[in-house]
Amino acid sequence: MSILVNKHSRIITQGITGKAGRFHTEQGQLYAHTYVGGVTPRKGGEEILGLPVFDTVKEAKSSVNCNASLIFVPPSFAAEAILEAEDAGIELIVCITEGIPVRDMLEVSRVMRESRQSRLIGPNCPGVITPGECKMGIMPGYIHRKGDVGIVSRSGTLTYEAVWQTTQLGLGQTSCVGIGGDPLNGTNFVDVLKMFEEDSETKGILLIGEIGGQAEEEAAEWIRQYCTKPVIAFIAGVTAPVGRRMGHAGAIISGGTGTAEGKIQALKRAGVTISATPADMGLTVKNLLLNN
Amino acid sequence: MQVHAGGRGKAGGVKLAKNKQEILQAGKELLGKKIVNEQTGPEGMVSHNIVLSPTVSISKEYYLGAVIDRELAQGVLIASPVGGVDIEHVAKEQPEQVLILPIPSRGRFHSYELLRIVKFMGWGPALFKEGMGLIGRLVRAFIETDASLLEINPLVLTDEGKLLALDAKLVVDDNALFRQPEINSFFDSTQVSPHEARARQEELAYVALDGEVGCMVNGAGLAMATMDIIHHYGGRPANFLDVGGSATQEKVAEGFKIILSDPQVKAILVNIFGGIMSCDTVAAGVIAAAKELQVHVPLVVRIEGTNVEKGRKLLAESHLKNIYIADNLSEAAKKVVILAKQYTSTGD
Repeated sequence: MSILVNKHSRIITQGITGKAGRFHTEQGQLYAHTYVGGVTPRKGGEEILGLPVFDTVKEAKSSVNCNASLIFVPPSFAAEAILEAEDAGIELIVCITEGIPVRDMLEVSRVMRESRQSRLIGPNCPGVITPGECKMGIMPGYIHRKGDVGIVSRSGTLTYEAVWQTTQLGLGQTSCVGIGGDPLNGTNFVDVLKMFEEDSETKGILLIGEIGGQAEEEAAEWIRQYCTKPVIAFIAGVTAPVGRRMGHAGAIISGGTGTAEGKIQALKRAGVTISATPADMGLTVKNLLLNN
Repeated sequence: MQVHAGGRGKAGGVKLAKNKQEILQAGKELLGKKIVNEQTGPEGMVSHNIVLSPTVSISKEYYLGAVIDRELAQGVLIASPVGGVDIEHVAKEQPEQVLILPIPSRGRFHSYELLRIVKFMGWGPALFKEGMGLIGRLVRAFIETDASLLEINPLVLTDEGKLLALDAKLVVDDNALFRQPEINSFFDSTQVSPHEARARQEELAYVALDGEVGCMVNGAGLAMATMDIIHHYGGRPANFLDVGGSATQEKVAEGFKIILSDPQVKAILVNIFGGIMSCDTVAAGVIAAAKELQVHVPLVVRIEGTNVEKGRKLLAESHLKNIYIADNLSEAAKKVVILAKQYTSTGD
């Protein structure tokens, strides 16, 4: 088992004719045969990487029956691309684009909240991968290995770090989900934790958070009440100064909330094991799984 | 004085003048004055502009602001008849004195909603029209400028019975600056450190800190985590620097330049997770940039990912003085902290 994506996923890429869209679609194809088409307005009818290109997501859906869309559209048009995918009834929408204006995301958030069939991952995220089955995002595929740790993170390269550590220790991953570094995103920690809790193959969960917002605190509350699996967390930004944006749009401590210390304490109170440094994430998971 | 930070009053950035002489005197003191507090960062901010406000006799202060609420994924209006003090403090101590209303998705309140806010503020019929207009315009400005925060604090009622905005703060979403050319033109490079201004030009994410270990990392989360592990092993990070997921040679070279222009830096930790970009390419870029710039402080390099052996070999054979190749992140952090301390103690 796995969550969100597997070998039966049928993915299209919105923005497939752009540099990043094309490159990462090709990488995804090399990883597994899960890509079925692409969308770029005014390029409909063309073919790229052996895949048909459509003008709209609706046309792509009726023609190749896709159920997932990976978005590489530039920031000023990305919100519309998400809304288009939702409108076409795509089940899983993963938006890689960084830099979407918050005001645009307000409308996206409202639509996604009320959507019956669609889920959005991101934006500003590395995507989702189920090792050996499907790579839907920009992560390097080879660092992953099929295994039993579920990883959920707000970061990109820090996630790769965690993946690599768990791979080298022989643990491997069921699925890895990057929920993104923006203040407003489609899927939060709690959503993914629920999926890992229900996934029979996931034996332990590694949560990688960072300063800003309340998502880790909400995750802690959910874990305290409902989670039966061991959870390990690392929170980045203990040394981050107040009021400064640390790269990610959402990584900012404001008005005394969103501190790493506050998040660590909340998670500890919920029974989560904290990895003291980013170098110990894999080992902390391994030790906890051995003791369970 | 006008700086891009709060806490000016406490830092002596607000002066009261009774006549022309006093205005001139205060102006001389404030122009070029530097304030340093939590909001300005360690380097402080220098004021090049001042604003002259008429002294008014205040009968009451209020708070009125709008902000993006991350958890609600909505803009919210915050209003309180208790102004002039920290609004977060009021919300905690007297929650009944703070009204928080989600801004409707159409981007404006109906007039009955505006009236409800006006009444909450305790404004009488004589102020209905003025108050409703003020709140409506604040919400409109908040939406139209792509603001993440817009607050009037304090908003005052004068003895003459007029509402007056004495000070305001506007924070605009960086991601929306491309469609806010007028606001973007207000960017004032004198209000950020020269290193940060330069990083902004090169599109690198950089934040100056006050430690001695320079950090160059790819990816924001890993960059923060690298700062944390330096701190964990007893060092202090000199900066946050994300050179971008792919860490190209150009970006690495720019990163070195910015880090080295900070005289406090005693050693540098390069931490790159080579994913899409393989480690040998990253290593070649680091070597070329370090040679070109004649990096004089000790350099600890930790790379991981695709072709890591090839990358480490390149680094080992680079003939760079003062370069240390670490096998893992803990070792890299421990090493760079020790090197920074040695470099400091030898008084180099």
